Amino acid sequence: MKRSWIKFFLSTHGILFLFFIYAPIVMVVVYSFNSHPVNMMVWKEFTFDWYWSIFGYPTQLNEQTLYVESTDQLLASVKNSLIVATSTTAFSTILGTMTALSLYRYRFRLQTFYRGLLFMPMVMPDIVLGIALLIFFVTFSIKLGLMSIIIGHCTFLISYVFVVVSARLAGMDDTLEQASADLGANPWVTFRRITLPQILPGVIGGALLAFIISMDDLVITYFIAGVDSTTLPVFIYGMLRRGVKPEINAIATLMLVFSFAIAALGLLLRRRS
Amino acid sequence: MARKGDSRRLAFLLGPTTLFLGFFFLGPLAVMVLYSFLEPGLYGGVEWNFYHWNYGRILGWADGEWEEFDLVYAKIFMRSVRLALMNVGITLLICYPAALWVRGLTARWRTLVVFMITLPFFVSLVVRLFCWVLILRPSGFLNSALLGLGLISEPIDIIFTETAVLIGMAYIFLPFMFLPIYASIEKLDHSLIEASSDLGGGPLQTFFRVTLPLTLPGILAGAVLVFIPSLGNFIVPDLLGGAKVMMIGNLVEQQFLSARNWPFGSALSVMIMLIMFVLIVLYLRRLGRSELVG
Repeated sequence: MKRSWIKFFLSTHGILFLFFIYAPIVMVVVYSFNSHPVNMMVWKEFTFDWYWSIFGYPTQLNEQTLYVESTDQLLASVKNSLIVATSTTAFSTILGTMTALSLYRYRFRLQTFYRGLLFMPMVMPDIVLGIALLIFFVTFSIKLGLMSIIIGHCTFLISYVFVVVSARLAGMDDTLEQASADLGANPWVTFRRITLPQILPGVIGGALLAFIISMDDLVITYFIAGVDSTTLPVFIYGMLRRGVKPEINAIATLMLVFSFAIAALGLLLRRRS
Repeated sequence: MARKGDSRRLAFLLGPTTLFLGFFFLGPLAVMVLYSFLEPGLYGGVEWNFYHWNYGRILGWADGEWEEFDLVYAKIFMRSVRLALMNVGITLLICYPAALWVRGLTARWRTLVVFMITLPFFVSLVVRLFCWVLILRPSGFLNSALLGLGLISEPIDIIFTETAVLIGMAYIFLPFMFLPIYASIEKLDHSLIEASSDLGGGPLQTFFRVTLPLTLPGILAGAVLVFIPSLGNFIVPDLLGGAKVMMIGNLVEQQFLSARNWPFGSALSVMIMLIMFVLIVLYLRRLGRSELVG
């Protein structure tokens, strides 16, 4: 039958599609445990040594580990990334939520303008925003460093939080708020006791999204990071440009685990609400 | 609307974002546009006088003093547009059948598979591209496998070609194409498809006359969402394309970090931004604003 052929074609394609997405990732994870020091592609034996070596511990592979001296830089970049992502998340979650509330609650003339303004940073190509911020910071003599990266990330992450929280607000029950107001609660009490608990899953979801995007951002950070404020993705990018080394497998695997963990957390939260 | 204190509360809620985005989003973009009309200084930096040759250079015009007519930048521009369009085509061909497949699954599997397809979006771009560097480089996985199987006798050069760039870009932008298409396929009213086949339409006819036109909004959204970031991308061509497959993004990066011709880099960037605006406006005109902005 013709239809069964179509079905067969679609499922084969679908399975290949998932294979295309996951095979490269699985490959990196597998090879991060390969002890072959010269050719990463030839399987020798299982080892944790690359993981030890990125944290600067002595291993049998030490002669080949070229990054022992840059372990400090690596850890510094991780620290920078965490500082940036945490501050960015806090700031953009608050502003994004406030903006979502105001556009949902009030009708005013500039609403279309604001929706457009919030939409723009999400579609603006990274490189355009990155160099625009670079020119801006240099022109106004704002020092490039963690602060400039945090500002840069917030410019587009406010929008992401805004979208997630707005979606949550759209599905909210208005009558509770009206009841609260009718019963004499002031707007702040209504917000804290009624609105916030209802939109909280959206706020947390938006915060997680902001955190993960900020942790992973490469292009914008690449342009506006100062000399001593490298973040993890920029550090790895620099390493990759200089050549492929087995340690990158191990670092990449750790980053994968971290990203997957946060994504899974987000999914769990969405399930529970 | 007229309740007392409303406008004060609105200003309180909206004020900080307005100031922030006005200052650090619109501000930088305005300064960038300004820069694109300034004269590049001899040793980096800018001279503060009006200078339109930055845009002329993109099209190859000589500035009458230092440069000869040269299409090198226009060619890089055209290559970027071509590769971005090809990427739209490739991701569409991969994602559309995949979305049809996901729709046909049971509800439980559907959730799982959609999650699996979205998951890589949360993995760092560098990590995802690193995977492909490992696969495609001369001593990489692909060559090792093909040599091992005896299919080729010496390593083939895939990395640093347009093919490598296209593979890398398709890999990165798949979720941007899949999700809008899947959303429109999921919304599709199944009874229309049944009606079509009840009335004697074959599977192909039903697809081209019913399914495809009804899911066109999703395809267009995916195309815009893939095209815009592909056009300005510089990480993929940098890691997988090398010097041979330069795109506008690489050119911009060069102007800022090595050539130190910021005004020219800004002009190129303004061009990318203009293309983006035109596409978004066309898209919104066609569909009404609800789909993308909503």
